[in-house]
Amino acid sequence: MSGDLLMQSLVSGLAIGCVYGLIGIGFCVIYNASGIVNFAQGAFVMLGGMLTHVGLKTWHLPYWAAALFAVVAVAVLGVVLERIVVRPLWRRKAPVFVMILATLAAQIVIERLTFLLVDDQPKTLPVFTDLPPLKLGAVALSYQTLWIVAGSLAIVAGLAVFFKSTLTGKAMRACAIDREAALLQAIPVSRMLALAFALSAALGAVAGILLTPTQYTAFNVGVPFAISGFIAAIIGGFGRPFGAFLGGLMLGVVQSVAILSLGSGLKSAAALSVLLVFLFFRPAGIFGVAK
Amino acid sequence: MTNSPDTISPEAIGKAFAPVPRGLGAILGFAPWLVVVALIGTALVVGGYISTVVAFALIYALFVSGLNVFMGLTAQVSFGHNAFAAIGGYTSAVLTTAYDWSPIAAMGAGLAGALALAAVIGWPTLRLKGHYLSMGTLAIGLITYEIAVQWTSVTQGYMGISGIPSLGIGRFEAVSDRQILVVLTLTAALGAWCVARIRRSRFGRALAAIAGSEEAARALGIDVASYKLASFLISAGYASIAGSLFVHVVGYVSPEVFGLHMVILAFTMLYVGGIGTVVGPLVGALLVSMLPETFRGFRDYQDLAYGAALIAILVYAPRGLAGLAELFRKDAP
Repeated sequence: MSGDLLMQSLVSGLAIGCVYGLIGIGFCVIYNASGIVNFAQGAFVMLGGMLTHVGLKTWHLPYWAAALFAVVAVAVLGVVLERIVVRPLWRRKAPVFVMILATLAAQIVIERLTFLLVDDQPKTLPVFTDLPPLKLGAVALSYQTLWIVAGSLAIVAGLAVFFKSTLTGKAMRACAIDREAALLQAIPVSRMLALAFALSAALGAVAGILLTPTQYTAFNVGVPFAISGFIAAIIGGFGRPFGAFLGGLMLGVVQSVAILSLGSGLKSAAALSVLLVFLFFRPAGIFGVAK
Repeated sequence: MTNSPDTISPEAIGKAFAPVPRGLGAILGFAPWLVVVALIGTALVVGGYISTVVAFALIYALFVSGLNVFMGLTAQVSFGHNAFAAIGGYTSAVLTTAYDWSPIAAMGAGLAGALALAAVIGWPTLRLKGHYLSMGTLAIGLITYEIAVQWTSVTQGYMGISGIPSLGIGRFEAVSDRQILVVLTLTAALGAWCVARIRRSRFGRALAAIAGSEEAARALGIDVASYKLASFLISAGYASIAGSLFVHVVGYVSPEVFGLHMVILAFTMLYVGGIGTVVGPLVGALLVSMLPETFRGFRDYQDLAYGAALIAILVYAPRGLAGLAELFRKDAP
């Protein structure tokens, strides 16, 4: 019996881990393009679910159109954030913690605006496929879990193709390796930064849309997601998008086992302890040297 | 992480040895002190509601002054000093309500606890740099918050602890608004004076050297790790005392008091006032506390205003109000 319970919580851990992984990839994409850690990442996740809900309930759009609208709107917001907050600081070569603080402040501004423009009620979205969960032995597997896992894997595969085969993707990788050298190769480095914010914001929004049907979204869910995504990125060795995805899976599993054994009250404390263990003993992540 | 120049704060360098300003610069240099004196004076004379606001501001001023030692003078970063305020605050609250300790003894116990924790976590944490240090300290603050929520047998969780006695030493007890205000003003002034002394001392110069470049400081024979830890301990001590003062003045404590909000508010104050200066934390804390009072009808807009103001200051005025004087000094021949 407890074996089944463990399997069940591993399944849900892997599903939430996929979402953490997508958020972690968002951190890495921006970090690689600019050396910046963007703490407004959680706001993108929150807005993904929230804007889809607004499109669905207030404007009565079809589900796919609402989701598409949300992703595009959040990507645009990512670029706006880059233009008005990040770029002036980046130009001035502001210290790292000033950048973290500014993006954290942006997170709060977005949160409060959502609170004022929508409301403070938790909202959820309908599941994508409304069928009873699959039964694998005693383990129930909901269709939304499958959507999360499949969607995340598809995105990771898409990103792999993008970074490996397209000119833009290669240019972004070049920026990650050496920005000055990239500039000398006539790569528009500052446009890459804007693109990185758009991409990372869109990733956050997709993560939010995939996850919201299984949980709920509210104006203040962003910061915990940002922290989980950051932990995923640290575990994977900061700046390695696919490491971050695996890191997310690992964090999701650790967290769900912690909930099972310690109770749900300590799940954030468990995640943060994982972070501290990695920071103190293995700051380069599980896959080797820090960048 | 590397110790590249952009992980440290250029704002903090060289402040300790700035020449005495003249003319307009000198007047603007005194202006923040005048603002501080005027605001506290008004609160003392008028009393009532404004004195409550100024009392909170002074407690925050102490907290931010400590943070300034670590962030302004040493150019490190901590998003987790709310942890030390929480330890000070909860120790005071529990010992004075459940065990009938005197406020001063409880404050001392809280201080000892905060310093012990700062020493234990400071050792591994302070080896980190840049965003690793930011996240490590943020995690410590968040874990402390979770513990305050979950450890209900001691902290009563979200319910909080109420009925905490007011401040007092021996038979003297600060009960009226004015008495509290006087005690807090003296404490904040003492705190600021200590920061001024630290900044001008041999110790402070070592911190400034570390702020400039850790490698260069090490090459000069400065024991970087020990000085950073000492700076961390000092700022944790300030935070702990501020936490204790807070619970005695309010008479109530709950985890929300020492949440992430406290960190953001303290950073806003530090940047509004001017990081790395002695008067900055005082004037920043007072102004930032007064500001929302003028828009008191719009509680929902407060965090929005804080966030937007913080972004604007970081982008356009990174040295805060106390840095205004230097703006003019640069123009002078």
